[in-house]
Amino acid sequence: MSGFVTLDGVRKQWSHTVAVGPLSLEIPRGEILVLLGPSGSGKTTVLRLLGGFETPDAGRIVLAGEDVTAVPPAKRRCGMVFQHYALFPHLDVGENVAFGLTGRGANDPKVAEVLGLVGLEGFERRRVQELSGGQQQRVALARALAPEPRVLLLDEPLSNLDPSLRERTRRELRALIKRVGITTIFVTHEQEEAFDLGDRVAVLQAGRLEQLDTADELYEHPASLFVAMFVGRANVLRGKMARMLGAAPGQVLVVRPERLALADAGVPGVVRERRYTGAAAFYLVETETGDRLEVLARPEAARLGDRVYLEAVRVLTFPEERA
Amino acid sequence: MNARLGFATRAAFTLLLAWLVLYPIVIVVYDAAAGDALAAFVSRPGEWRVLWASIWISVVSVVLAAAIGVPLAFLFEWLDFPGRKTLGSLIALPAVLPPFVGVIAFLFLYGESGFVARAVQRLLGLTEPPWRLQGAGAILLVHAYSMYVYFYLFTRAGLAKLDASMLEAAQALGAGRWETLRRVTLPLLRPSLAGAALLVFMTAVGSFSAPYVFGGGFRVMTTQIVATKLNGELPLAMVETVALALVAVLGFALLRRTEGDDILTALGKGTAPRRRPIRRAGVRAFATTAGWVFAVVLLLPHLTLVLVSLVPYGTWTTETLPPVLSIVNYERLFREAERLRPLVNSVWMAGVSTFAAVVVALVAGALVGRRRPWQFRGPIEALLALPWALPGTVFALALLTTFSKHDPLTLRWVLVGTTVLLPLAYLVRNLPVTGRAVLAGYRQLDPALDEAAASLGAGRWATFRRVTLPLLKPALAAGGSLAFVAALGDFVTSIVLYTPDNRPIAIEIMSSLRVSELGVAAGFGVILMVLSAVVLGVGARR
Repeated sequence: MSGFVTLDGVRKQWSHTVAVGPLSLEIPRGEILVLLGPSGSGKTTVLRLLGGFETPDAGRIVLAGEDVTAVPPAKRRCGMVFQHYALFPHLDVGENVAFGLTGRGANDPKVAEVLGLVGLEGFERRRVQELSGGQQQRVALARALAPEPRVLLLDEPLSNLDPSLRERTRRELRALIKRVGITTIFVTHEQEEAFDLGDRVAVLQAGRLEQLDTADELYEHPASLFVAMFVGRANVLRGKMARMLGAAPGQVLVVRPERLALADAGVPGVVRERRYTGAAAFYLVETETGDRLEVLARPEAARLGDRVYLEAVRVLTFPEERA
Repeated sequence: MNARLGFATRAAFTLLLAWLVLYPIVIVVYDAAAGDALAAFVSRPGEWRVLWASIWISVVSVVLAAAIGVPLAFLFEWLDFPGRKTLGSLIALPAVLPPFVGVIAFLFLYGESGFVARAVQRLLGLTEPPWRLQGAGAILLVHAYSMYVYFYLFTRAGLAKLDASMLEAAQALGAGRWETLRRVTLPLLRPSLAGAALLVFMTAVGSFSAPYVFGGGFRVMTTQIVATKLNGELPLAMVETVALALVAVLGFALLRRTEGDDILTALGKGTAPRRRPIRRAGVRAFATTAGWVFAVVLLLPHLTLVLVSLVPYGTWTTETLPPVLSIVNYERLFREAERLRPLVNSVWMAGVSTFAAVVVALVAGALVGRRRPWQFRGPIEALLALPWALPGTVFALALLTTFSKHDPLTLRWVLVGTTVLLPLAYLVRNLPVTGRAVLAGYRQLDPALDEAAASLGAGRWATFRRVTLPLLKPALAAGGSLAFVAALGDFVTSIVLYTPDNRPIAIEIMSSLRVSELGVAAGFGVILMVLSAVVLGVGARR
């Protein structure tokens, strides 16, 4: 795998207890890599290290064959889209986009070109305050792309949009990035967003890289209990119930809702809650051991209060982790 | 309130405000235009020179205050070094010094017989004082000292609102540190800088104490007006007043336009940049030392005042430091009722005028603070703000003219020579402060609270007393304390309007200086300073 962007043993110490890394990553040219993790997992720190806004305490960052570890952000040629976009309120749309084009004004053809790319033709003279959230996000993207950066860095750029707008924007964003062909690192804490956008997803927790893989692999073959729990819905079982579904003593068992079936025989339980979603329904089944399991099944499979039997189609087991 | 009654109330209140604030100005302008004093003003080159002096002194004051205040704000907001917090608040100290008290502190400190001059004279063995603190330079020194605080506070507030990701975005787009400062930081600070410039310009145009004490032969318009009035040339004084008012209004309009709307809050969000610790030990030590030296320099006027107040009459002649210190001045102050009179006068006049200004502001808030319809909202807000755009001398002269004639048909009565006129002037001058605070407070109230109170059975008055007033308390305390302190230390309007029966503190300090009772003057100054600090401290508490 040819690393266009390489992090080599990068480490950033915030305090005695909080640190990121050491972290090694290789991102091939043209890939969209998503950094996924809960808040405090260090994903934004990794992005800021790439952008040059933080300096690593150890390790190397290589960008297109050039060691940029000590290069200031202004010289790194990384395009960055910030969480709140950071559009300059004293400049109009065209001036914002032209900011990084040294010595060129808002009338430069490049400005019109990138604005066209994000679907905002003719917006040059608009004030940024007049734009909707989605438009602001696209201006921020156009501004980042205008100086033709080597890498595009995006810090949760969709978190400020309405949920209804988010899904559409996400697909448009992916299509646009692929059209430009730029190597992209995208930070998010939403698994759905990560799966939709990324060629590969890096799951981070407490400053460490848990797993770096495609969405399918992460879901089907999580490398750790954390990944199994963080990526997708999961029933986490310990003790007797885990052993009943096939785990060895001392192991933690994870089974996804759609991998449990309401069958004629198996582990007995009672339906305590039913949540209807249209195509299917989620059932919360309480077993005799007192465990509560979430099951995804057909809407007519059971009713509230029914006695049912659970059958596990596929389970994942992990060694018990110490908290 | 039914619609017609509401309209009438608003109209009546607007007229009352107009009579209080606008009418006196109209009368001065009318009188100035009517007589032949206008011709005299135009033909005298001296008058033009004085007007020009007012303008350039104000402009240079803005530049000097910015040159000190802006870098300090960056230093304290962006860098971290030992003692940053303590020093950061010490640096706002000149704010608790009423203008006139600050001026006499400077006199004691840097004047020709002040501590610094004496020390230098002794050190170099000179027979004459090394300098005279006089003329434009002296005025500018005092202005720079007392007015940089505006730039310091405004710039710090602006920087604190700055979104760190703005600066990072500029860097990611290839802008270096200086380019980011020039193309992003400074444009974003523009409203703050223009706001500070506006405040400094208005204060400097209206500044009276410094030119009065240190001007010597150098006159600015404020001192010229008072001198002309003392000469008995009242019509000419009125023309001068109008000229000064025009300069002030022009500067106000000009700077207000550059201020623009608050672009920083328009997009909002984001967090201010992290403070960068100064790592290099040498630089750290330097920054810390420089900070403390600066703080001491700032504190010197306050300390000087305290020291001089402890000098008994006639005991300090040629020594660098006073040989005898005692609290005899304070003792006399509180033992002799006649000496305490000015303090009592100032406190009651400041109290009454502040209370009235708060009441007027509350009425304005209740009438146009939030409930629609907003008839008269614009005029009421403008009238409340007007006294701020005009120097104190202008209002003093205007009130003096308006209320020197008995003509009830034109709403004029003789108030000159009574004790009422000076508190009335304080009231007018305080309206912008209380008005702004109360109206801003009203704007932050949730209209649903009123409806909630009504739905729980509270009437209009009960709602005001039990809901509105408690919520407005911080705004009232802030506005009221600022107004009280301003009235307490006032010198500009007092020197024009005081009578023997209501001599305020500042006038007493002036006459003590005249008879060389430095200790008494300084003692009053200390009392004023402490009182101001206490009142401001109480007002700022939440």
